[in-house]
Order: sequence, then structure tokens, then C-alpha cells
Amino acid sequence: MASTESQPRFGQSVKGLLSDKVGSCSGDVIALTRQVLKGSRSQELLGQAARNMVIQEDAILHSEDSLRKMSIITTHLQYQQEAIQKNVEHSKNLQDQLRHLLK
Amino acid sequence: MNRGKMAATGEEAAAMDSISRVPPAHPTVLSLGGKSEPRGETSEISTEDQVVPAPKKPPGNSDSGVETAEEAVEPAEPDINQLCTDMFDKMAVFLQGELTGTCEDYRLLENMNKLTSLKYMEMKDISINISRNLLDLNHKYASLQPYLDQINQIEEQVSSLEQAAYKLDTYSKKLEAKFKKLEKR
Repeated sequence: MASTESQPRFGQSVKGLLSDKVGSCSGDVIALTRQVLKGSRSQELLGQAARNMVIQEDAILHSEDSLRKMSIITTHLQYQQEAIQKNVEHSKNLQDQLRHLLK
Repeated sequence: MNRGKMAATGEEAAAMDSISRVPPAHPTVLSLGGKSEPRGETSEISTEDQVVPAPKKPPGNSDSGVETAEEAVEPAEPDINQLCTDMFDKMAVFLQGELTGTCEDYRLLENMNKLTSLKYMEMKDISINISRNLLDLNHKYASLQPYLDQINQIEEQVSSLEQAAYKLDTYSKKLEAKFKKLEKR
């Protein structure tokens, strides 16, 4: 079978056929690779994923900013609670004095 | 003349034969001389001055009465191997480049996901701190509740004291007026 396949076309040498065949095989491999990549739709899916991620980034940064503000507000509340704690300890004395006054 | 050119060695002919073997996926190329042609049959084809290959007669085949001809081959170029290697290397580089695009997309997404996960971990830590602090604050404000009740009581007492002070003030003014009246008499 190999010998019959190597019979040349009219006016063409084996060398020419061979180079044509090599060229067509290369083209086929290239086309196959491109078709596999196109058929997998990886390019568009990954691009869409990247675009969605970029859109989300703004929301993520805003959320982080809000959380940091909340932590600052919590710290201020703690300071206020400590000040209140200090001052309410005097209220017992005040109450005793008022009771005496109102007697 | 052609016979002179056709004096190729058996090894070169075998090499050319192996190179010129075509896969059966392309029937157009295969249908050159008919597949049913037996291997021993020969045909001298001479076209102009080109060297034309003919089916190679294996050396062990001794068919009497059949014209044989050795395969006519050109001497192989000395750098054909180098060219083939070069061709396959470039083909590999091209295919690698085609696939690298998708790989780079995946890498980009991987990096973006890693950064986002780091961001979320930071936010998680901040949230844990906030929740812990708020729980402590709730407990502390709960413990302050009795004091706040006392403050309410103090406020009520102060308001009743204020009422008493107003009454006292009014009574003292009345007393002063009566005293002045009595003094005038």
C-alpha cells in the first residue's frame, strides 16, 4: 500500500507531494488546535469571569470601607461606655444626699 | 540518462519510501495509481528531466518476465534533518503560543481570586473584632442598667425637690406679704 501511495501525480515529484502533504498536515494541526480552543469557549467564559470580578471589586472595596468605619465607631462606643462607667459610680452618693434632703 | 539517475542505493530508497508513505486519511492523494496494483509490478515513468519515483521492487522478489526498475531518488539534502527539526520546533512553539493565551487567562483569574480571598479574609477578621467588641459593649451596657435606673430615680427625686422648692418659695412669699400687712396695721 505504501508503494502505491507514493506513485506521483502526473507532473509532480514525490518531493513536491511530500512538501504539500507536510504543509496540509501542518495546516490541519493548526486548524484542529484553533477549533478545540474555539469549541471550548474558554476565552469568552474567562473574559466574562474577569469582567464580573472587576465589577464586583467596587462593591468589595465599599464593603471593606464600611467595615472599617464600623470598627472605628465601635471603638468610640467603648470609650463612651468607659466614661459613663466612671461617672455613674457617683450616682449612689447623689441618691443618698437627695434622700436626706427630701426627708 | 534517467537510468543513471536511478542508481540509488537501497538504503536511500528505503528512506525515501518511508518518508513518502501517505496516511490513508486523504484518499485524493492516495488515488494515484490504484490501490490494487501489486507491489511487484513496475512502471517506468519518465517525465522530462525530473526524477520520478517508481514502486520499489524488493530485492528478494524474483518475478520472471516482469520489468523492474529501481526507485529513482534524488540525493537527500544534507540539512533536511535540520529543516525538519526546525519545522517541528516552530510548530511546537506556535501551538504552545496558542495554548498559552488560555493559560494566561486562567492565571489572571487565579491571581484575582487569590487577591479577593485575601481581601475577604481581612474583612472577616475586622468583622470578628467588631462582633466581639459589640458583644462586650452589650454586656457592659447591661451591667450599667441599675445605674441608669438610679439616674432615673435621681431625676424623679430632683423634679419632686424642685416642686417642693417652688411650693416653699410660694409659701414664703405669702408669709412675707402677710407679715407686711400686719406690720402696716
